[in-house]
Amino acid sequence: MKRIGSAWIPLMLLLGACVPAATPTPERIVETRVVEKPVEKTVEVTKVIPTLTVIGPWAGAEMDQFVPVLKAAKQKLGLQIRYRIYRAEDLAKVLPPQFEAKQAPGDVIFMWEWWIRENKDHAVDLTDLWQKEAGAFVLQPTPVDGRIYAVPYVLWVKPGFWYKKSFFQKHNLQPPTTWEEFLALLDKIAAIPGIKKPIITGDGVGWPVGDIAEHFLIAFGGPALQQDLIAGKVKFTDPKIRAIFAERLVPLLGKYFSDPVEWTQAIDLWWNEEYGLFFMGNWLTGMVKDPNDLGVFPLPGTRGVVGGTDWAFIPKYSEHVEAAKQLIAFMISKEGMVLRAQQGGKLASRKDVSPEVYPPADRALAEALAKVEQPTVPDLDDAVGGKWQSLFWDQMKLLWVRPQMLDNVLRRLDAEFPAR
Amino acid sequence: MRGGRIRRWMRRWGAFLAFTGPALLLIAGLIIRPAVETIALSFTDKRGAFVGLRNFAEVLSDPETFNLTGFPPGPPPWGSLVHNAVWILLHLPLTVGLGLLLAVLLERARGATLIQSIIFLGMVTPMIVGGVIVRFLFDENAGILPALMRAIGLTALGRSWTAYPETALLALILGSVWLWTGFSMILYSARLSTIPRDYYEAAAVDGAGPLQQFWYITLPSLRPVTTVIVAMTILWELKIFDLVYTATLGGPGGATMVLALQMYLYAFQALAFPQAAAVATLLTLLTLIVGLWFVRTMRSAE
Repeated sequence: MKRIGSAWIPLMLLLGACVPAATPTPERIVETRVVEKPVEKTVEVTKVIPTLTVIGPWAGAEMDQFVPVLKAAKQKLGLQIRYRIYRAEDLAKVLPPQFEAKQAPGDVIFMWEWWIRENKDHAVDLTDLWQKEAGAFVLQPTPVDGRIYAVPYVLWVKPGFWYKKSFFQKHNLQPPTTWEEFLALLDKIAAIPGIKKPIITGDGVGWPVGDIAEHFLIAFGGPALQQDLIAGKVKFTDPKIRAIFAERLVPLLGKYFSDPVEWTQAIDLWWNEEYGLFFMGNWLTGMVKDPNDLGVFPLPGTRGVVGGTDWAFIPKYSEHVEAAKQLIAFMISKEGMVLRAQQGGKLASRKDVSPEVYPPADRALAEALAKVEQPTVPDLDDAVGGKWQSLFWDQMKLLWVRPQMLDNVLRRLDAEFPAR
Repeated sequence: MRGGRIRRWMRRWGAFLAFTGPALLLIAGLIIRPAVETIALSFTDKRGAFVGLRNFAEVLSDPETFNLTGFPPGPPPWGSLVHNAVWILLHLPLTVGLGLLLAVLLERARGATLIQSIIFLGMVTPMIVGGVIVRFLFDENAGILPALMRAIGLTALGRSWTAYPETALLALILGSVWLWTGFSMILYSARLSTIPRDYYEAAAVDGAGPLQQFWYITLPSLRPVTTVIVAMTILWELKIFDLVYTATLGGPGGATMVLALQMYLYAFQALAFPQAAAVATLLTLLTLIVGLWFVRTMRSAE
């Protein structure tokens, strides 16, 4: 018995020694190349391929559009890359304790620019990387003490009301060019049998409702008004703001807009022609069955639309800072940007990307935006942030179902607006 | 002499400390210390200076916490404190009553285990998922309840319940009843199965009918388990968070705001940690009252 036992021990040790060699850890994949030299000598060269973790907010169709970029980077740069989904709202809660512990959940993270600036002590300086590309971009990051910690990626915009071209053709409808035409269009859609309401209102935690309100503010108050609201220079109870709500938006609410409906569900209901129009960002092009059937128009006379980008940064605590820099450099290069633009759902933030690279729906949008005076007005609630952001969404949801509470809503928005 | 005393002391307390020490240390480090720090934080400002009850006054004077201007007949928002109270007033009798009714009805029914398992599914559903389900359950387009209301001619209730201040809180409470009833039902079922059959047989011999048997045998036997259910349900109602967070985020217009969500928003959106600590302290006090009542009732029952 003892002899059997003593025979097992070396066997187990031998097996134990073999296992790690046969099973690389998921974190570090080891590539082994056997190089034969002219002399009869064999040398083993071991190259460690870093596995980068990229954290972004895109899920579902949006993630599918982003993954090809990572695949191309993987091939070109010889990196292992995995993608994890975290919304900026969640990252804002997850990252601070991680940073305190000198840890980072990812090597390249997409986040709000203001947040990265505020947490610059935990971010890698990307000034050198950015300076090589800066001239090609439509958006510029805000430097902190002359240094850049976040770089812009692709553009999203909230351009206006989307419609199905086939639906408009079937019912002989035209995109409006004046406010009166817009109202007439809503009446025409309302009269179509089977239509529940002319416009379906998307909902989530409230941001789609807030987006519509912002579009009205910019359309009738101009991009500068939105900037003034963000800066706290204008109050919501200001007669100018109240008039936009009271005269333009509120009269449409019960009559033409639906109650807020979960926005992903709203896409299906709208696509099934239970509603005629849908206000959403340009990521919608990747979420419908036939993007070629999509058309979009802003409120007539609009001089700006809300637009922005997702900002990439590298936490100081990444184990692969150089590899992460290579990845960001690839993503914001013309090659990387073209590749992302080809997938649809986002627009390139580089000036040297031709509209021809986009799928038809995105191409039409890019061309339409070229005519808009200010295509990247900052998002009001994103820019103000904090508790006020969710208050704004919540109050807009309330306004949608209780338009008579307009004055209460505006007063509440003023009362809770953060002190500047 | 002294050695003997030490040995006696060790015999008496050594084993006690060895068994309870690790648990006490963990409780002290992970529960008591953070709780004490939270309470201390609620009496300070952002810079750590003592401010007395200012944070409590600020929180309690916030209309988000207490706002009776529109209290019935007006619709919510009535403030998180009132919403939690409404939650207890409606949710507690509904879950306890329904749980008891289901347990009694299913006691000897064929296929009872299967039905109980289905009802209990609500308890094993993560509340985050529960919140999403509740949102869809009461949705105008996808929800079964608005569809049912329209079918019976109550068109005013055939819309999205969670979108309107009048119905949002009720929708969440009813959703929570669906998720939580399995808990009381299972506890009642377990207790019912342990009541000796002899009691009922003796009562039947004495001429007692089913109602009298239920009133004089079943109900008194269920008293201890009812105390557990009531205490656990009130605690659930006080700390309700995830369901509200995913279904409405406290809206529309604060109509479904509850204390735990308010605490979260203070802490992680407004970054107002002293105010968040004040709400947490209020919540702790309220749960402490329930806890003390529970312990006293259980002791007197023993």
